[in-house]
Amino acid sequence: MLGTLTARDPLAGRIPVSVVTGFLGSGKTTLINRLLKRPDMNRVAVIVNELGEVGIDNDLVEVSSEQMMLLNNGCLCCVLRGDLEETMRDLFIKRRNGEIIDFDRVVIETTGLADPAPVMQTLMTDTMLEDQYRLDCVVTLVDAVNGLGQIATLPEPVKQAALADRLVITKSDLADAAKLEELEAKLRELNPPAPIRRALNGEIELAFLVDVGLRNVKGKLEDIARWLGADERESERGDHDEPAHGHRHDTAITSFCLRFERPFSWAVFTQCMDVLTALRGPDLLRVKGLVNVESRAGPMVVQGVQHLFHPPVELAAWPSEDRSSRIVFITRGIGRSEVANLFAAIGAVQGQAKG
Amino acid sequence: MSTTMSTQSQAAQTLAWNMKLVAQHELSGFGGMGEGTNMQKTKDGRRIFWMAHESAPKNFTGVDVTDPHNPKMVVQTDLPHGDVRSNSLDVVGDLMAVAYQTKKWGLKPAGFDLFDISTPEKPRLIAHFDASGPSSRGAHCVWFVDGEYVHMSCGAPDFTPTHEKDDQFYRIIDVRNPSKPTEVGRWWYPGTRKGDAEPPPPRHPKFDGGYRPHNTNVYPGRPNRAYVAYIDGGAWILDISDKAHPKAVGHLQYSPPYNGFTHTVMPLLSRDLLIVSDECVKDNGIDWPKLTWVVDARNESNLVPIATLPLPPVETFSKRGGRFGSHNLHENYPGPCAWRSDTIVLGTFFNGGVRAFDTSNPYQPKEVAYFVPGAPKMSRAGAIQLNDVFVDDRGLVFTVDRFAGGLYILEMSL
Repeated sequence: MLGTLTARDPLAGRIPVSVVTGFLGSGKTTLINRLLKRPDMNRVAVIVNELGEVGIDNDLVEVSSEQMMLLNNGCLCCVLRGDLEETMRDLFIKRRNGEIIDFDRVVIETTGLADPAPVMQTLMTDTMLEDQYRLDCVVTLVDAVNGLGQIATLPEPVKQAALADRLVITKSDLADAAKLEELEAKLRELNPPAPIRRALNGEIELAFLVDVGLRNVKGKLEDIARWLGADERESERGDHDEPAHGHRHDTAITSFCLRFERPFSWAVFTQCMDVLTALRGPDLLRVKGLVNVESRAGPMVVQGVQHLFHPPVELAAWPSEDRSSRIVFITRGIGRSEVANLFAAIGAVQGQAKG
Repeated sequence: MSTTMSTQSQAAQTLAWNMKLVAQHELSGFGGMGEGTNMQKTKDGRRIFWMAHESAPKNFTGVDVTDPHNPKMVVQTDLPHGDVRSNSLDVVGDLMAVAYQTKKWGLKPAGFDLFDISTPEKPRLIAHFDASGPSSRGAHCVWFVDGEYVHMSCGAPDFTPTHEKDDQFYRIIDVRNPSKPTEVGRWWYPGTRKGDAEPPPPRHPKFDGGYRPHNTNVYPGRPNRAYVAYIDGGAWILDISDKAHPKAVGHLQYSPPYNGFTHTVMPLLSRDLLIVSDECVKDNGIDWPKLTWVVDARNESNLVPIATLPLPPVETFSKRGGRFGSHNLHENYPGPCAWRSDTIVLGTFFNGGVRAFDTSNPYQPKEVAYFVPGAPKMSRAGAIQLNDVFVDDRGLVFTVDRFAGGLYILEMSL
């Protein structure tokens, strides 16, 4: 409820969007096919690349057209038409006109070769879409049999895994225990905060694919911890400066969390991020953080993918006693110390300027 | 398997975004509600939601909405006969003003009643303000928020209009002694009263809705201004620092070319903006466009429309049944029970349901929530016709259907 709030909450009221990504053969179609039939998919719109591929039995289909089908569990499945922005705008217009169900969640299946970054950037920065939608979660599927090999040789699967909020290992029945453990270790190395789940035959509950993003500015501690990834991460194994095994240093994926005890001035913080994105934007795979900004009641939530950042949002209050800024970076070949030094340098120069 | 996406009549479908139904109350089968709604907090801590009925036989209904999930009707009253309607009411503390408008001139009751509602189950009549007369239908709409003055659109026994449709005007009634309501001021559109020096105003060429006020809003935050929507006469700002002599200081007329029926002028005082709503009065989109305007009021003598609230497409909604277009707003009522916002605006749009808009950027208002109930049972329009909306301080949205659906209580997530 709104309580005494009389202006719009910049997070609440947007329809959450989950992006399902994964390399060719990782089992996206199988997962989507299974997902579509689940009872918890009522009022979910699923955007797929091809309707034909989904392969839903006719007796589960309530109505259908060339572009869409409504399943008898209340799930709407529609095909990507033109670009994603156009499809999502069109979906909302049809929803508003009462031409389709009142979906309250969207799941997007990306193509196997797709770099998920542009999809995420679209959802975070498209000013037409951001009134109605928010990026909730990126889920990456990794094939238990071929995943390790793909990660070792190709850039796309590495990026897909590194950008994810959730990781799903598919076809786990086809790989032995040792291989699965090796893959899990590799994924933890690439993306320490993302929870990993094994799925057989694409069976996965909707709950694992949703509810990562912050839902309103009155975020509770656990909501923020879930969104930011594991808490207190800088002391954990995920805090790598060293390149992941088997990669050249400059392409290795690194993940770390920087913590700052002193509040930032907003100008200093944005300058740090501007310099970082100007110099290394393409390698700044994902940034999420809570930033303590001078004279603000609550923390600023920042999130970005490569060079594009979501408009910052101020939370109503700090979720706990801990007022330090926490910024999680997932980068390609940018180490913790390099980012920390940049922040220190700009902070020092700016501090002097302020005199 | 059918080949289209629509399996049912569109109007049967509920549409919702960021609003969720908490409860509906059909009000004992008398669910045709007018445009007077307000909330009372009783001395024993209950919240009573008061509603005037759209038409006879019922007068007004009070519903205990302390627990919004379990609304309980506490009283429902009858009108003395079928040729009168209440349509409008307002509540201040334990005082309630109820309007009466008759179908024809000369009938009674025409004017308003003041009730003591300290015991909501038993409203006690304190006084009746009689405005009946040879060319009066009484009051269409009352505004009563300060406990001292009733501002209203009403006829009078001494007012003979130049045109039969211009039979109501702006009247200010002092009710500081509630048992003796007394007129202290009045204003009418120049040329609408017989004997005026000005010529009668031109009739609207397509939809002659008349030159008479609809809403007459006065806010304690700016007590020297009355914001008067004058139907085909557009939006007016009156200086009422001297209540005996209201003086026009601002006027916006956009009809024709638009289709008239200016309904509400609501100021967003902290932002020098006005939200001006029209009323759709014809079915099936005949009088479209009926809009809600955002008006720059920095200079009262030069009111500039800068945007309209974005409504869903008329092509779709004009076919859903009944009326589609603007009507009432949540008017940021003073008082302990109302929610107030100078950025979020809520309105009812008949079969377009209730919709909320973020006007933070006044040039580009954005829709942020809506609820369109499925067609209520027994509705003669075959579709929902949401008529009025009130948002309480808990952020709950109370909205009423014009014909059958009664009261809908919604939770908003913005």
